[in-house]
Amino acid sequence: MVGVNNVLEVKELSKHYPTPRGPLPILTDVSLVLHRGDSASIVGPSGSGKSTLLYILGALDPPTSGVVTLDGDNPFALAERELATFRNTRVGFVFQDHLLLPQCTVLENVLVPTLVTDTDPGATERARGLLEQVGLTERIDHRPAELSGGERQRVALARALIREPLLLLCDEPTGNLDQGSADAVSSLLFGLHKAQQTILVVVTHNELLADRCETRYRLNEQHLDTVRR
Amino acid sequence: MSLRSLIRSDVTHFWQTNLAVVAGVGVAVAVLAGALLVGASVRGSLRALAVERLGAVDMVVTSLNFVPEERADALIAAAPDRLSFGDALPLIAVEGFVTHQSSGRRASAVQVYGVDERFWQFHGVESSDLSLERNGVFVSPGLARELEAAADDALLVRVAMPSAVPISSLHGRKDDLGRTLRLTVQRVLVPEEQGEFSFRPQQGLARSVFVSLTRLQQEIEQEGRVNTFLLSEPSTAMVEGDQAERLAAAEDALREVATLDDIGLEVRDLPDRGVFSLEAAAGLVNDATADAVQSTAARLGLGVEPVMTYLANEIRHGDLVTPYSLVAGLDLELVTTRDPMTDADQEFIPVVLNQWAADDLAAAPGDDLELVYHLWEDEGRLVTRETTLRVIDVVPIEGAAADPALAPDYPGITEATDLVSWDPPFEFDLGLIRPKDEDYWDEYGTTPKVFLSLEAAQRLWASRWGALTSVRLRPEGDVVTEADRFRTELGVTIDPLAVGFVVYPARALALESSSGATDFGLYFIYFSFFLVVSALLLASLFFRLGVEQRLAQIGLLRATGYPPSAIWRLFTIEALVLATVGGLVGVAGAVGYAEFIMWGLRTWWVGAVGTTRLSLHVAPEWLLVGAGGGVAAAVGSITWTLRSLIPVPPRSLLAGVVPEVASPVTRAGISRATSISVACSLVGMMLVGVAAADLMSATAGFFGGGLLLLAAMLAGAWAWLHAASHRTTRDPWSVSQIGFRNATSRPGRSVLCIALIASATFIIVAVDAFHRAGGGDPLDPTSGTGGYTLLADTLLPIAHDLSTPAGRDALFLTDLYDPGEPLAGVNLSRFRVRPGEDASCLNLYQAKDPRILAPTDAFVAEARFSFASSLAETDAEVANPWLLLDRVFDDGAIPAIADATSLAYALHLKVGDDFLLNRDTDRPIRLRIVAALVDSIFQRELLIGETAFQRVFPDYDGYRFFLADAAPEQTGVVSAALEDRLADFGFDVVSASDRLASFHQVENTYLATFQTLGGLGLALGTLGLGAVLLRNVLERRRELALLRAVGYNAGHLSLMVVAENAFLLGAGLVAGTVCALVAIAPAWLERGGGLPILSLSVLLVSVVVVGFVASLAATLVAVRSPLLAALRTE
Repeated sequence: MVGVNNVLEVKELSKHYPTPRGPLPILTDVSLVLHRGDSASIVGPSGSGKSTLLYILGALDPPTSGVVTLDGDNPFALAERELATFRNTRVGFVFQDHLLLPQCTVLENVLVPTLVTDTDPGATERARGLLEQVGLTERIDHRPAELSGGERQRVALARALIREPLLLLCDEPTGNLDQGSADAVSSLLFGLHKAQQTILVVVTHNELLADRCETRYRLNEQHLDTVRR
Repeated sequence: MSLRSLIRSDVTHFWQTNLAVVAGVGVAVAVLAGALLVGASVRGSLRALAVERLGAVDMVVTSLNFVPEERADALIAAAPDRLSFGDALPLIAVEGFVTHQSSGRRASAVQVYGVDERFWQFHGVESSDLSLERNGVFVSPGLARELEAAADDALLVRVAMPSAVPISSLHGRKDDLGRTLRLTVQRVLVPEEQGEFSFRPQQGLARSVFVSLTRLQQEIEQEGRVNTFLLSEPSTAMVEGDQAERLAAAEDALREVATLDDIGLEVRDLPDRGVFSLEAAAGLVNDATADAVQSTAARLGLGVEPVMTYLANEIRHGDLVTPYSLVAGLDLELVTTRDPMTDADQEFIPVVLNQWAADDLAAAPGDDLELVYHLWEDEGRLVTRETTLRVIDVVPIEGAAADPALAPDYPGITEATDLVSWDPPFEFDLGLIRPKDEDYWDEYGTTPKVFLSLEAAQRLWASRWGALTSVRLRPEGDVVTEADRFRTELGVTIDPLAVGFVVYPARALALESSSGATDFGLYFIYFSFFLVVSALLLASLFFRLGVEQRLAQIGLLRATGYPPSAIWRLFTIEALVLATVGGLVGVAGAVGYAEFIMWGLRTWWVGAVGTTRLSLHVAPEWLLVGAGGGVAAAVGSITWTLRSLIPVPPRSLLAGVVPEVASPVTRAGISRATSISVACSLVGMMLVGVAAADLMSATAGFFGGGLLLLAAMLAGAWAWLHAASHRTTRDPWSVSQIGFRNATSRPGRSVLCIALIASATFIIVAVDAFHRAGGGDPLDPTSGTGGYTLLADTLLPIAHDLSTPAGRDALFLTDLYDPGEPLAGVNLSRFRVRPGEDASCLNLYQAKDPRILAPTDAFVAEARFSFASSLAETDAEVANPWLLLDRVFDDGAIPAIADATSLAYALHLKVGDDFLLNRDTDRPIRLRIVAALVDSIFQRELLIGETAFQRVFPDYDGYRFFLADAAPEQTGVVSAALEDRLADFGFDVVSASDRLASFHQVENTYLATFQTLGGLGLALGTLGLGAVLLRNVLERRRELALLRAVGYNAGHLSLMVVAENAFLLGAGLVAGTVCALVAIAPAWLERGGGLPILSLSVLLVSVVVVGFVASLAATLVAVRSPLLAALRTE
């Protein structure tokens, strides 16, 4: 998908949560720029706000201040309906807990994001293709309860890419997996990222996964520091 | 994959939670549609019962006088072909009193039908066993059960002896008014044999006997005559007009066939006198008939000579006395040429004596005579009056002065062969009769001895029955020919429907009445209201719980680009699917619920309906309405729970954080809720206060104030719970405090549980406090019994005044009033009665023609009973609203008093409203409700003033309803004495308290029904409470596992769950009970301030026990959940 500028840009982003005792700062003056094809990892101690930053990048949580633009659009300036379309078409999200719908099959889970568009011809073909790429062709009609943790995460990965998003966000994608499964998922993740040339942002504790990303950020005391570029 | 398949998979995958939602909706729809079915079933049952009891009857023609049976055929012949009747059946229908001879069991107000084989032919019943013997009787099943009568038992059936002469006139018989037939029960009829026949709708058992028409006619001396005609519907092919047209056609046919004889008039030809005379069987020609005669005579060019003849006891001239002589009032110019000297200022009445009288009294013109005569006063007294006569002329007994036809037929007198054979209905001193009097009688018969002016005669003897005994008409042509012409012309002038005939559209009125005085459908919706609300709240609760289970999924959908509207649509469709399935289940359940209610009405709650003949009628349209309403309400309440999800950020949804936590209520929100609570409290208390000050109805104050107070408490609970969720404590905690704190972690759920328990408790407590115990203080004159301990109805009217020695003497009661005897010191208040339908809640049919009572002035003056409201304006009326019965309205409306309960629930009227009697005729009687009695024994009838009663219901003579204020310990003796001595009148005594209690039974049964269904609502509420507790425990499995890991034992965990349950249950009970008691304060203070403490306590304890049982499941899960598995669970 070719956009306007294919850039993710974050400028002086801050986030705090209101509490009865006053605002609790999570992020302060976070800035970054990533281009299509870039991959970045965000590491930091637990509770440092990594997932918070990821959800803001995915337009799931608004910042308290600062600007986020993807492909020239600030999602938080959009109306609710446009924001939903933005999430649907521009962002793919892989959650730590995979969050598959237990009542749907593997194929149906991958197709979930396509149901809210008017027409998406070839969606089923793409879904089958993605499942083939993640090695789950044989499990296409199975339900999540019948899959292992690694298999579920692979389905979640396929789902995140069904709409060929520009931005692919992963929140601890291998956090609940054993090393073997984690490696497999990591390989698939980067393989698909390269194939679709997404902007990949990964929040992880896994050093191996973090090392595979071109850029490494560290969140420390509400600030985002660039460790390696 | 499509949205449809996603919805389908959602519905099926989460089937457990969805099943609970479906069940909740199913219950709500079942109850709502079921309540509507109950209404339809009651209406359908009443309609079926009325139609079954009517048989083939379409219309009924009744007459106050007995008319020849042949009128039946004449009616059919007179009706136009296109609106012909199928058949017309003559029969006798009268009220009777039946005694089972061997056991002495008695039944009053029994319908006695004099019939023959034509009766069953009319109804199309074929049976060879339906041939009534002369001495036989068929009995209805209800009466047979009441009397425990069987075949071959002997019954004494007493009926009124018809008499055209009013009993309140001098010549009206006041005793021996009935006839008793001793009959043998041939069989007890079954309904298929018209054993339940009745042409007036009633849901109670039909209490009737069928006797031989011929036998009955002979006993009451009405051979070949009947008082009722049943008209059947014509065949469908012949019917063209609607009911109103057919009724009009029947009335026109009646006008055509009714003769003067049928309406109690006779035209006697007197060709020798050159006149014909119109006379009435009643002895007096009433004013309306006299006017009709005058107008007809004028049209025909006839001379009119009105006559008023009277029987004088004595005519005295000094020591000379002529006894028992007829005195004629007429135009004195007919008998004398002397100047009548009719000066109104004169103190004497000028009279003309015939020669015989003059000789007997040695009187001559200019002499003064004393005339002594009896008068019967309406109050029930025979009085003797005297007046002075002055002889102006003495005439020979010839010409106009020798006319025995001037006297009407006097029963017991005219037909006598001699004076000593006279049998007048008043005291007659045979000792006064001399041989010369017998000679006069032999020679001259009823020839008057004295003549006075008509005006003078009318001044002395005119009554409400009339001022003439005959009207003579003098034609110019042939008397016989002119008399025939006059008969025809008068028959057109006088409408038989105005003088005793009624055409009653029995079938149409029965169908109309069967819509019921009480809308059971609506009542059961009220009764089931909280059950429906509880079910809907439960359905919403379970749906909400199901949605909360899927918060992360919702977050995922939002994260993948589903706009809020798509989420909303998804869950709304899911709610619609579940509600629709629940609706279908509910429709099936509605039939079951309605059948349960109908069964209850036939058994436990039969006191409210008085019949076991109610059955389920499944009406698809009501099922549809109920299902539609229930489904709509369910979708609404379910989707209402979703609205709080929309503003929650997707991030929070993904984390599974519920809206209450993700978007905590701010202090401003808590303040707002507190303000709402305060406002609702103030308005609620204001409503209660206004109701207490009698500025609005107690019912409105109760419901409005109570609900507002309840809403205030719930809003307050909501605010408190949200505020509590922010609190911390520095004090050492107890385990139970953890339980209480748990209740504040999910304020929405907790308030929902409190609301469920509180609303059901509110209803149960309030309803229980309204139960009426007993029949009121029997001696309190302001109570519902008015201080009377006994009340009685009679079959035959009693004309004598029982408060006078003469009246008691006439009825052989004198000895019972002696000191120490049963009636000593007992006052009897008496009422005139026009029979009609029961206007109380005991009658399920709408009373179109209620019973009318008229009290005497003596009763009115006592100012007994209490009034809920009235149109009183003066101080006297305020002190005694009974005086309103004498108010005069410009529009001619007649003031009426009724019981407030009957007005509200049976007649649907209030003070100031009008009730129209005879509304389908051109002679409606407008009654205006001027006062409403509080919970009285008069719930079956309306009461009007005695003067008005005598004017509009002149044919209902004498007194037939009595109230006695016997001492409570004497009621048995008094009842027995009265029933024994007045058995001939069918005197039937019951306890006034028992009568009042029977009315209370209806109200208490409705309240019991309300409570039962409220109890079911409470059961659902506790089920919901249990479900919430279980859900809370399941959600906190990891916390509970942690507590166990750090040393909490099963007892500690149980205490936590129980504490949370106790908090929610207690809050609900307290809120519901307090609000109910405060809100019903005006009503229960009015009843004396007493509360049924015991039953209320039992109820509340039961609720607590059930509530704790409901938490058992939650406690068991908390205690027995596997420790490690819970600790490891994500």
